[in-house]
Amino acid sequence: MPRIELINVSKRWGHFVAVDHLSMVIEDREFVTLLGPSGCGKTTTLRMIAGLETPTEGKIIIGDKVVFDSDKGINISAANRDIGFLFQNYALWPHMTVYKNISFGLENLKWKKDAIKERVEEVMKTLQISEFKDRYPSELSGGQQQRVAIARTLAPNPQVLFMDEPLSNLDAKLRGEMRTELKRLHRDTDSTFVYVTHDQLEAMTLATRTCLINKGLLQQYDKPLNVYNHPDNLFVADFVGSPTMNFIDAKAKKVSDNVLALEFLNLKVNYTSEQVINLVGEDVILGIRPEFLLIKDDGAINGLAYSTLPSGMETTVKIDLKQKILSAVQFGAVDYAFDQKIKFDIIGKKIVLFDKESGKSIALGSCEVVK
Amino acid sequence: MKTLSFSKIWNRTKTFFSKPANIILLFFTLLLTATVIFPLISLVLDSFMVQSISEAREINEIWGTAVKKGDLTWAQWPNLLFNANSEYSLYFFWQPLYKSVFMALLACLIAVIGGGVLAWLITRSNLPFKKFISAVFIFPYIMPSWSIAMFWENFFKNTSIAASNYQMGILEAITGIQVPVGFVYGLVPCAIVLGIHYAPFAYILIGGILRNMDANLEEAATILKASRFRILRKITLPIVAPALISTILLVFASSISSYTVPAFLNADNSFTSISIAMRGLIITAGKKGQGYVVAVILLSFSILILTINNWFTRSRRSFTTVSGKSGQVSKFRIGNKPWIKWTVASVLILVVSFFAIFPLISFVLESLQETSGNFSTLTLKYWFSAESFDVRITAQGQSSQGIFHNATIWNAFGRSVLVASVVALVAGTFGILIGYAVSKNRRSRIANYVSSTAFLPYLIPALSFGAIFFSLTYKEGFQWLNVSSTNNEMSAVAICILVASIKFLPFASRSGTNAMLQVSGEIEEAAIITGCPWWKRMTHVLFPIQKSSLISGYLLPFISCMRELTLFVLITSSFSLITNVLQFYDVYGMNQMSNAINLLIVVFVIGVNFLINKLTGASIDKGIGG
Repeated sequence: MPRIELINVSKRWGHFVAVDHLSMVIEDREFVTLLGPSGCGKTTTLRMIAGLETPTEGKIIIGDKVVFDSDKGINISAANRDIGFLFQNYALWPHMTVYKNISFGLENLKWKKDAIKERVEEVMKTLQISEFKDRYPSELSGGQQQRVAIARTLAPNPQVLFMDEPLSNLDAKLRGEMRTELKRLHRDTDSTFVYVTHDQLEAMTLATRTCLINKGLLQQYDKPLNVYNHPDNLFVADFVGSPTMNFIDAKAKKVSDNVLALEFLNLKVNYTSEQVINLVGEDVILGIRPEFLLIKDDGAINGLAYSTLPSGMETTVKIDLKQKILSAVQFGAVDYAFDQKIKFDIIGKKIVLFDKESGKSIALGSCEVVK
Repeated sequence: MKTLSFSKIWNRTKTFFSKPANIILLFFTLLLTATVIFPLISLVLDSFMVQSISEAREINEIWGTAVKKGDLTWAQWPNLLFNANSEYSLYFFWQPLYKSVFMALLACLIAVIGGGVLAWLITRSNLPFKKFISAVFIFPYIMPSWSIAMFWENFFKNTSIAASNYQMGILEAITGIQVPVGFVYGLVPCAIVLGIHYAPFAYILIGGILRNMDANLEEAATILKASRFRILRKITLPIVAPALISTILLVFASSISSYTVPAFLNADNSFTSISIAMRGLIITAGKKGQGYVVAVILLSFSILILTINNWFTRSRRSFTTVSGKSGQVSKFRIGNKPWIKWTVASVLILVVSFFAIFPLISFVLESLQETSGNFSTLTLKYWFSAESFDVRITAQGQSSQGIFHNATIWNAFGRSVLVASVVALVAGTFGILIGYAVSKNRRSRIANYVSSTAFLPYLIPALSFGAIFFSLTYKEGFQWLNVSSTNNEMSAVAICILVASIKFLPFASRSGTNAMLQVSGEIEEAAIITGCPWWKRMTHVLFPIQKSSLISGYLLPFISCMRELTLFVLITSSFSLITNVLQFYDVYGMNQMSNAINLLIVVFVIGVNFLINKLTGASIDKGIGG
């Protein structure tokens, strides 16, 4: 069964390093998202696994077959890797009808005519595009084209499915619908999905595991909620989550093995972790998710309401704390007047502490304000 | 360690050759180096080499040297450019050069203004009869440039001019007006004829940009309350500027080295163009080397022009933004009253028809009159009679019977179609392959090399290009290509196919590259994933998507080849191709025959173009853009 393994894979164009010694394992039937800002190397990684791009060095294994090995000179073409690929711009062939677009690949695989017809009709039914059978791609809407592209990719029953930002050309509503369907499709097809996106929400909601990449380097490869709650470094913490995590520069002093005294923005705070804290330098960065800033009348910290952004179900409140703007999220619709005085607390046990110099996370713990 | 690095190199080579695009690039690197770069180097070398014994004698006399035939020398350059006899230099080089530059500039002006204004009217105004005007306006570009020259002569020659044997032209026959000789022969008519020939080229280039230009750009300016004129000046013109400059440079490059038009319109010997001067030098014993000097100078002009052109298009390429939502632009209304636009349209139709349809009529008329201009001597015998008209021609074993009985004409016509078809097939297919390979490897050095080398033949003056291969046919191993020694017309056919396939490759590779660049890489990758082999991707996916512009890549070489004379004149006999035969009858004063042949060629070419257009939707104007 298709387990995908990348060993020390690199891709360079001249001096530009697109992917830098990337090693990862994608287990069978996983839904893995490659997440990162544009130009970070995630699409290159996907294309290298698919065989559309030749790595400069490294080794790639799909199932029990080595599909690429720079040392042994193995390079199996994309056609022989038994994969499906969904392109960002769909890449539907404009001169072929919907039916022909789907059947073309099966013809290349030398399927019997009856089998082709049966299979094409089956996938068209699954994706609800049977009525467009004889239309050309230009006669379809974006969402319909997307379905045709998916049908074409699914038709030969690929064991691995690669997707390169497949939803980025759809409007917000359609994108939401397609997400739901892709997740179902993953279960129904019983195959491995690898999905490239720059949209952290997409990565969080779809994946069984998500892989963060920045500047060609692997940042963190973990379950989405682990990535959210235990970010390995500042980049991951910043990239995942919306509104983004609040970062506050602080000075730290060791009190005991698992307690630090923090000082920031004229506040004195005791930081307590359940583990031993390995403090490197006294300069640290405190990372607080917006949902851990709780606004309440008897809060210990005083701030001003800088701006309030209610969206109905929840409200993002921007708090001005000594000229530093922090984001807090409150359930339900509230509206504060500009510069209204508000009080809040830092709650929960998932406040992340980063070493300022390395940007690495050093602890997870809770904060208590010292009066 | 050593074996490892060897295996690495081996792996890399294997990866390189696993991509068809790389194999194509390598193949064309070798082929184009052999057929374009080597000949060029040999041409430059020839200008530094003593070509004959008489040449050696002249050089030794002037410079007091002792060179022999085949020696290297730099003396040909000063001998031609700064001869002690300054009138010699003036007559054979400087005067032809500056007159030709002047002619080319004038031709540019006519072409760009004519083509540009029409392009704007067709794409941006509510002009009636657009389709007709647009279709007919292309004709002069499809016709051989010298057939327009011939029409010019037919139309304006008159009984006051000695150079045309006091023959009466159409204008005089109808109106009695006699135009001065300077309007029939010489620099001005040459420039006008070339301008007319290249105006459609300007129209196609500029029109292409105007048509693809995002209409929103102009609409945005309209909303910001810019006047129509201001929009034209501040938005439209700057955006089409690269195309405009491209047109000017390419028309200039083609005009300055044009040979046939100045040759046809020089009956009074008033205007020696630089190309005529060059041919004169090359065919004169003892001056061949100086002829090559002119060829090299013309060539450097062309390369300079290409460099300037590349520089302009590189820094401005981003301007030509194509968007899907064009075509909704509000049309400029010509005049406030309907009659104004109808008048403009009528005038345009008249002017366009004069240069596009009237020549055909003039060829018909000239082929039907025993005495030119005299309508009482109308006869069909030059078409239908089986009698021989000229014993001098019969004496050479060639036919001088009426067109429909004339074996010389039809054999040559058949060979022309053969050459044109094979050339179209070769150049068109090569163009697609180059386009494919280049579009897959943009920015790679080898792709750049192939694409610029494939474009280079466009800039080599046809006559010097022919000359290069002419000298090849005298070399060991290539003599079977020399028609004058084998006396087999198939030798001529073979060398013509070789030469023309290279010479007309630029059109095909340009249209191939443009077409392939428009197809996103994902389209092919989607087919790769399904296990579609390379040739099937080409025939089932890429070709059908860009069918019309790729077929243009076949059509252009075909048409160009049918009407070509300059390129072939040195490497063929007088009877090899239909254009040879045309010139042959012209030399023997058989005006009716040469006009009839001209009609034949033009009608055939237009017919093929029309047929292909109807069958495939491809047309000549789709291939050139860019």
